[in-house]
Amino acid sequence: MKRGDIKTAASSQGRWANSGNGIALYPVDIDHPVFTAVVSPDTAFWALVDKSELAGVFTDGHPLYREYYRKAETFAHEMNALRFGQKPSAVYVNPTERCNLDCSYCYIPGEMRKDGRDMPKEVLIGALERMKRYFRRNTPEDYKPEVIFHGSEPMLNREAVFAAIDYFGDDFRFGVQTNGTLLDRESADFLMSRGVGIGFSLDAPEAVLASRTRKTWLGDGIYDTVVQAIELVKGYDRYSVICTVTKENMAALVDMVDFFHAMEVPVCMLNPVRCTRVGGHMMKPDDAAVAKYYLQALDRTHELYRETGRKLVVANFANILLAVLAPTARKLMCDISPCGGGRCFVALSAKGDLFPCSEFVGLPEFNGGSVFHEDIDDVLEKTSFRKVTGRKVEDIDPCNRCAIRHFCGSPCPAEAYSLHGTMRSPGAFCELYEKQVRYAMRLIADGKADDFLEDNWENSVETVFDLALSSPA
Amino acid sequence: MKQHQTTQKNKTVIIARRKRSSAKGTGLSHYILIEKPSEKKEHGKKA
Repeated sequence: MKRGDIKTAASSQGRWANSGNGIALYPVDIDHPVFTAVVSPDTAFWALVDKSELAGVFTDGHPLYREYYRKAETFAHEMNALRFGQKPSAVYVNPTERCNLDCSYCYIPGEMRKDGRDMPKEVLIGALERMKRYFRRNTPEDYKPEVIFHGSEPMLNREAVFAAIDYFGDDFRFGVQTNGTLLDRESADFLMSRGVGIGFSLDAPEAVLASRTRKTWLGDGIYDTVVQAIELVKGYDRYSVICTVTKENMAALVDMVDFFHAMEVPVCMLNPVRCTRVGGHMMKPDDAAVAKYYLQALDRTHELYRETGRKLVVANFANILLAVLAPTARKLMCDISPCGGGRCFVALSAKGDLFPCSEFVGLPEFNGGSVFHEDIDDVLEKTSFRKVTGRKVEDIDPCNRCAIRHFCGSPCPAEAYSLHGTMRSPGAFCELYEKQVRYAMRLIADGKADDFLEDNWENSVETVFDLALSSPA
Repeated sequence: MKQHQTTQKNKTVIIARRKRSSAKGTGLSHYILIEKPSEKKEHGKKA
């Protein structure tokens, strides 16, 4: 199916899946005792089919195929709009190049983090004015664009960041992604009083392991400081903690979710390390091994929920689950093809230059030019951006023949480019995604999916397909 | 979400479901910008 068009010149009536004008509908084993999935790759449509009934789905006139065929074009248009019809509505801002830490996997070059520049307050506000004008032209009137202060370490330029938050007030929704080492009571109160989202980073539930990846330039761990900072925002409903998953800490993921849950962290992310720079690549865990630990951690979050009634949402998995249940309701724009870089959001460097994503800030060939001197619409069309926004799973082997390609998106382009020198290479954690999608489908089969999503997630979605068929037991 | 139960008389043999964001366009957000459900309908992008 091409861009939502299921009609071709062929005379086939499309009566059967997988031939002629029939729609692709591939069986995918999900390691479930009763159900196998069938997936239509181009539309991300799926069904769970009792294994004893599987062959029947592919017979002429089967109600599943018939009903899906009626909706397939609508779903294809929906995916097309999601994948190709967006304009940026968020900006990731690096208000400084500097960082007080030297984490082993950071994607910002070391010399930049050590001796880089800060963005003066007036320059930051001027840059955000430019972004605001762009967003106003390209987003609905009642939509509030997003500004996320990101790293290096934004709190090293706290004065400018806080000035911008107060200057723009309700013009934006703000977030700060921080290593937590510079967040004192005063700063935490400032951010919480203004409803700013706060993201922390912590890689282990104890100091020795945590310091293997996240440390100062002198090599000292920062675990205690970060835990104290997280304590400052306990009870605040807009914070999260990222655990970057490496070969060092993957075996501790179950302990990590225990720790987060005990700290009453509402949302965490267990992000596999990005291999954009050598340091990250050196920390890359084995794909199959990390998948095993990752799913064990998900199991543990469910046990904790059942034991206590309180959820710890693993947001990056929840996003995969959403991609299956409601493709257009997903939130993170990494696990989609093309990724969100340069099409759903942009990144602004401390020098005022635009990049498709923060992940590219250390790669000069992806510099789209100054926010002060270039028209943002023109920047989005430059080669530096088009290389990223044009990267799609249909052009990548084996994604072009993968049934679950639109639940995964084969992230990340910066990583693929750095590792293989080409955008047309797959993401670094293919098997982890295979297993996450299967896990998500097993949850759906067992009626447990809600337990892994934010409460009331269904308030903002509508049902567009709902078929449940029964047969005598 | 429904619980898929097997009774003595009938068993569920096919489950197919799809939902879509009822916000304008998609619900693009960021993991550190945790939304309250009541806010979600205000957000979204024009496709």
